[in-house]
Amino acid sequence: MFDQRGQIRIIEAFLSIAVVFSAVLVSANLPSSPNLSRQHSLASIGAQALVELDAGGTLANLIVQQDWAGIKQALDVILPLGVSFNLTVFNEEMQQVNSQLIQNSNVLGREAVSVQHVLASQTLSVKFFVLRLQLGWAG
Amino acid sequence: MRQRRNSGQILLIAAFIMASLLVSAQIYIVDTGKITSESSSGALMDFILGLELGSRHVVVGSLANITNGGPTNVLAINLQRWSSVLSRQYFFGKNTLSYALRETSPYTSGIRIDWGTNGIGISSAYSNFTCELSDRETEVDRAYFENITTTVTVESHYLILSGDAKQVNVTVNLLNEDKPALANQIIIYFRRANSWQIPNADNNYEITDYGNGTYTASFIANIPSPTIEVSGRVIDQRQILVQANVTSAQI
Repeated sequence: MFDQRGQIRIIEAFLSIAVVFSAVLVSANLPSSPNLSRQHSLASIGAQALVELDAGGTLANLIVQQDWAGIKQALDVILPLGVSFNLTVFNEEMQQVNSQLIQNSNVLGREAVSVQHVLASQTLSVKFFVLRLQLGWAG
Repeated sequence: MRQRRNSGQILLIAAFIMASLLVSAQIYIVDTGKITSESSSGALMDFILGLELGSRHVVVGSLANITNGGPTNVLAINLQRWSSVLSRQYFFGKNTLSYALRETSPYTSGIRIDWGTNGIGISSAYSNFTCELSDRETEVDRAYFENITTTVTVESHYLILSGDAKQVNVTVNLLNEDKPALANQIIIYFRRANSWQIPNADNNYEITDYGNGTYTASFIANIPSPTIEVSGRVIDQRQILVQANVTSAQI
């Protein structure tokens, strides 16, 4: 009787260990939560940067003048350190306008977000552009 | 009896583990959903902000075009294009931007060009907008307006120096939406023998920029007539042209 009781306890202990171990295994294999809030803040930073540059008409003027280096400089100043960006400018027919890359470093291989902004120039002949800004945390 | 109590422990442990697994999975799902929803509403607000900015730029550019000799229907054409571009670029759902150009006096088709002879010149464009955005979760109706107005006031006095020689002083004030604004270009004209002339270095022409939207100009010219008509033609930094004429008063 004593031996049987001991065996059951051992089996119980093994079963408990198996249950706990499987729970640990299952929870470890759950897909890790993507850092959505971090991505969201990056998208927000990007959108605000574009709006700020667009507010005074600076961004549209730089595009009309095809001053791609000027746009890169402006984004370098306005975006926080440690943010990689790549900007593509399209006209209203969605044809790419920028003949040079507008980026500070390559965002390839990084967890990146994309922000889209539509803008109108304040020029005598009003032009419309669609901007696609890809952002990623560097490093 | 004692054995049954012991074997119940495993059920309790298993129940606790399963409950904790279920709770953590639920928390994960709720958190993820919350962040996605915040992200979506933030993107919506950014889109609305960009939309209002763009509308303003379209009105400014169109007014600049019209005051520099363009057709008055440019405003409607540009706003139609803007609405069309926007409707193709909203990926969260349906977007409709409609506009209504102001037709109440003194506006016609959203435009007011009032370049008076009383020393006040007004170039203005006015449009109301309604934006309807809808997606699976939200529906936003937003009404706003854009009133772009460049105003110039021109005042002038003259002093008889000798004979027909007169020193004319002109003060120009420029306003954008009733706030002092800087000019890109100011040209002063005076009328002599039925023709408008621009004073130059031969007339000792001088202009002073006070940096607050106020400019003073002075020149000396031989004008036989006791009535001196002066005109100020100003282009502001948005390329909007405005003009005003005034009769100079003798000091």
